[in-house]
Amino acid sequence: MKAVFIVFNQANTERVEYMLDQLKISGFTFFEQVQGRGTNGGEPRRGTHTWPEMNSAVITVVNDDQVEKLLQTVHKLDCRNKEVGVRAFVWNIEQTV
Amino acid sequence: MLVFVAVVVIGLFSLTRLPIDQFPEMEPPYVSVMTIYSGANGSEIETNVTKILENSLNSVDDLKEITSTSKDNMSLVTLEFEWGTDLDEATNDIRSSIDMVTDELPDGCSKPLIFKFNTSMMPIMQYAFTAEESYPGLEKILDDNVINVLNRIDGIGNLSLSGAPERYIYIDLDPKKLEAYNLSLETVGNAIGSNNLNLASGSVKMGKEQYQLRVQGEYVESSEINDIVVTTSADGRQVYVRDLATVRDTIKDISLDEKINSQNGVRLIVMKQSGANTVQIANDVRKQMERIKQQLPPDIKVQMIYDSSEEINNAINGLVESIFYALLFVVLVVLFFLGKWRATIIIGLTIPISLLTAFVYLALADSSLNIISLCSLTIAIGMVVDDAIVVLENITKHIERGSRPREAAIYATNEVWVSVIATTLVIVAVFMPLTMLSGQAGIMFKELGWIVTIVVCTSTTIAISLTPMLCSKLLKSVKVSVDEHGNLVEEKTKIGWYERYVVGFLNKVDNWYANALRACLNHKAITLIVVTLIFAGSLVPLFLGFIGTDFMPQQDNGRMSVTIELQRGTRIEETMRTAREIEKRMMVLVPEIQLISTSAGTNDDAGISAMFSTTNNNKITMTVRCLKKYERERTIFEIAEVIRQELASMPEVITYQVSTSSGMGGGGASTVDVEIYGYDFVTTNLLAEEISQKLKDVPGARDIDITREEDRAELQIIFDKEKLARHGLTEATVSTYVRNRVNGMTAGYLKEDGEEYDIVIRLQEAFRSSITDLEELTMPSATGQLVKLKELARIEEYWCPPTIERKSRQRIVTVKVTPVGVSLGELAISIQHMLEDVNIPQGINVALAGDYEDQQETFGDMGMLLALILLLVYIVMASQFESFSKPFIIMMAVPFAITGVILALLITDTSLDMIGALGVILLVGIVVKNGIVLVDYINLMRDRGYELNEAIALSGASRLRPVLMTALTTILGMVPMALSTSEGSEMWVPMGIVVIGGAFVSTMITLIVVPVLYAIMSRHGERDKAIKEQKEYIFMQLDPHDDKGTVDNPQK
Repeated sequence: MKAVFIVFNQANTERVEYMLDQLKISGFTFFEQVQGRGTNGGEPRRGTHTWPEMNSAVITVVNDDQVEKLLQTVHKLDCRNKEVGVRAFVWNIEQTV
Repeated sequence: MLVFVAVVVIGLFSLTRLPIDQFPEMEPPYVSVMTIYSGANGSEIETNVTKILENSLNSVDDLKEITSTSKDNMSLVTLEFEWGTDLDEATNDIRSSIDMVTDELPDGCSKPLIFKFNTSMMPIMQYAFTAEESYPGLEKILDDNVINVLNRIDGIGNLSLSGAPERYIYIDLDPKKLEAYNLSLETVGNAIGSNNLNLASGSVKMGKEQYQLRVQGEYVESSEINDIVVTTSADGRQVYVRDLATVRDTIKDISLDEKINSQNGVRLIVMKQSGANTVQIANDVRKQMERIKQQLPPDIKVQMIYDSSEEINNAINGLVESIFYALLFVVLVVLFFLGKWRATIIIGLTIPISLLTAFVYLALADSSLNIISLCSLTIAIGMVVDDAIVVLENITKHIERGSRPREAAIYATNEVWVSVIATTLVIVAVFMPLTMLSGQAGIMFKELGWIVTIVVCTSTTIAISLTPMLCSKLLKSVKVSVDEHGNLVEEKTKIGWYERYVVGFLNKVDNWYANALRACLNHKAITLIVVTLIFAGSLVPLFLGFIGTDFMPQQDNGRMSVTIELQRGTRIEETMRTAREIEKRMMVLVPEIQLISTSAGTNDDAGISAMFSTTNNNKITMTVRCLKKYERERTIFEIAEVIRQELASMPEVITYQVSTSSGMGGGGASTVDVEIYGYDFVTTNLLAEEISQKLKDVPGARDIDITREEDRAELQIIFDKEKLARHGLTEATVSTYVRNRVNGMTAGYLKEDGEEYDIVIRLQEAFRSSITDLEELTMPSATGQLVKLKELARIEEYWCPPTIERKSRQRIVTVKVTPVGVSLGELAISIQHMLEDVNIPQGINVALAGDYEDQQETFGDMGMLLALILLLVYIVMASQFESFSKPFIIMMAVPFAITGVILALLITDTSLDMIGALGVILLVGIVVKNGIVLVDYINLMRDRGYELNEAIALSGASRLRPVLMTALTTILGMVPMALSTSEGSEMWVPMGIVVIGGAFVSTMITLIVVPVLYAIMSRHGERDKAIKEQKEYIFMQLDPHDDKGTVDNPQK
């Protein structure tokens, strides 16, 4: 089991949800309206007057075999428009109840 | 969506219910107190009545000024209140003030009568009826056929006929015959009166019946009077009326002569009830009048002299046209900059919806579609699109980045709604204070303030609700496809002429501007000096007085009123002859004239309306109607000038005024009044005369008029009290006798068809037209003997004291001057100079007043308002930017708006009036808005880490289009207003010019000065800020390995 943390410009919300549906990933936790900024490029998303845009984030815990497909799809989404932006980070799940 | 549909429906509904009027409802704040004290002359009235009333009334709340007129028999005190005062309240105060002094008023003085002057006293229409054969019966015909019919119209007020020939039965006695029969005039009068009776004389019972007994002795025909027996002489002969007098059944002797185009005629004056809809009533009256025309005898012709609804309609139509053009222009500008018709529709939709809410407001506030409310709408049109444009731009940006329209709409709106509301707040800060303005201007601009505030707020609401909604439905997401390599390919949008030419052009402008800006930023000092020089230079014409100032623009409504005064004491017949001559000359000189309605002389039945009219036997008043403004080449002002010259060349004309005003509302001619305060009649008269002589040399001064009437020649009967007593007479009885003989005694009425006609008995004219004749008047003494007046009194010619006018409880003479060809302000200044040369005697004060005073007051108010607005705008911006210096930078552009205003006024040779001054205030809003857009973006770029100059240049290039768009929508929205030539356009043209000039120049300057100032102001500020921050976050400098580096013991 892996946890995939996907942060995206909130303008991509519907696409991310569609993507998860298509990949038959039913479980996720959705963080609406999160702030952040990127290390390599990546405009700040602070919801301020200067940086008015905002991100949202999703953590989804998936089987190991699903991770590859998910990351590929995320990359496709990122390719669609680099400016809008989406990132995904993966880490291990130690235990669940 | 449905909410807005509802708004539209309610708006349209309100629109159909809105009455049309010229100005917002305003009640002139005047209350008059009229007191009759018969028998007293002007100066007696002044000391015994007027002064007492004035002193008491002076303590009434909210009183602005107290003026009074004391003339023979009558005192009239007029109180002027601050505009917007509750007059009902004031009337109560006045009533109690009067009650306090009633006891001090002389005996025999009537109870002071209070009445409010209100708009319903203004005639809304005037008709002229001319007749030939039916002239003698005209009054009855009009009464039955016209007045009765028109009275049934809803909202109609008073209908009065002026100059109608009234039927009178005159009995002209021969005094010689009276003496021969030893009769007095009163005996004859009583005989005629007592034979003209219908009386019930009880009831009679006869058998089973009961009858009413009646005397039915009233005259059926006037000829019956001839056969009345006055008395039986000593020798038993009966003396009939026909033996003593001639009975004439005729029309009243003329003392008021009404001619329409030199024909016998009557004027019908139509007034409305207070608060009734002028246009509606006028339409009804016109409709009825068409029907009435058919029923009138064929020789009676009906002509319209004056119809105020026509003017209102023309003005309103002109403005409605301007609004539609403004709408068109705004939409075109948006289309030009956006290049997408769908986006343009979305933006365009905000305009009608916002404007319709204004109608809802108007309907709720019981207001009307008037010049002010429509002007406000025109102003608002340019502003309502701005917010929607900002939102739309952001949504488009998101869509272009590949978002779906729905998501783009949601998130893009969320990003900008705060700043959209902030810019709206600035506009509200500009317009809200207008609603607090007091005085006459306050009443006019309250509506403007509310309308713009409401419309702009609505447009913001639309921008953050309806606009995104429509965007999500109407805008298309960018079409993309995936090519064979799995790469994303955007479908090329078709490159039309728009992309090729317009976008190319706009890009070039952007680049050019960015480069220019960089150049300016490198030469900040030079730029600032040049700009300051331009500003200072533009102020020069202002200080040199090239820019005139007016109070209210004079309107060309195709009407003039001409007042001509002939030598005092001229008899009415002579005055009429001169009037005919002048009419003839005018017809020759001014072929544009359609109708001249002349009245000469005075109506001797003094009613309340006679109080306002000053027609005397030597005065002629003419109302002249010319062709419509667009049907003739000369303006009414030029025509008036021609007539003035003609009148000046006529020797019999003593003074004359040609005024081009309608005398309605604010459109009246503005005058500068020179007020001379002083007690002594002789000195003040001399001074007034001297001033008016000197005024003739002042350029542009016309229609110079001294308000104090010259002394009038009167005949006075001075009684010998002893002789009176010897004959058992009193002054009162003798004066009644004299009145009966000269003026006539009313001996009952002749009734016919329900109308009553006076039977007037008096001496033949030949026996009452010289002093000797008057001395020969015979009257019965207490013992029944006849005595001659000369046995009781002597008759002397003397000069009666003039009407005494007072203002602020001091005697005053006013010299009124109308400016022609120069502005009010210029005239006032030259009069001021002229007055410096006049030697003013001690104890006399001279002051400039009139509309000039009002103008100064209003401009003062406007100045205060401007200061208040600037402060409010500063506060709004300071809180928005969280900075004290940035709003200051933005506001630096405001003075340059004034530069633009001055240039525009100078080029078009217009003078600044109240409405124009309002335009200046509006400019603050427009200019500041432009500045905000720019500074806001520079701030943004700075925060995003761009270097100062680069940030400025980048923002300049990126914000150029929005700034230009805002400015252009405003300017083009005003163009139709500035160019409009419809009737009444004089009102709003100056405002259009002011706003266009100011907005144009200030936009140009904003684009240069604001960035340069920003650069100068920020350099130090930002660097200092960095150092300060470094000091605050001191923990960064701590050395963790050193224990001394704690907060308690900070490292040096």
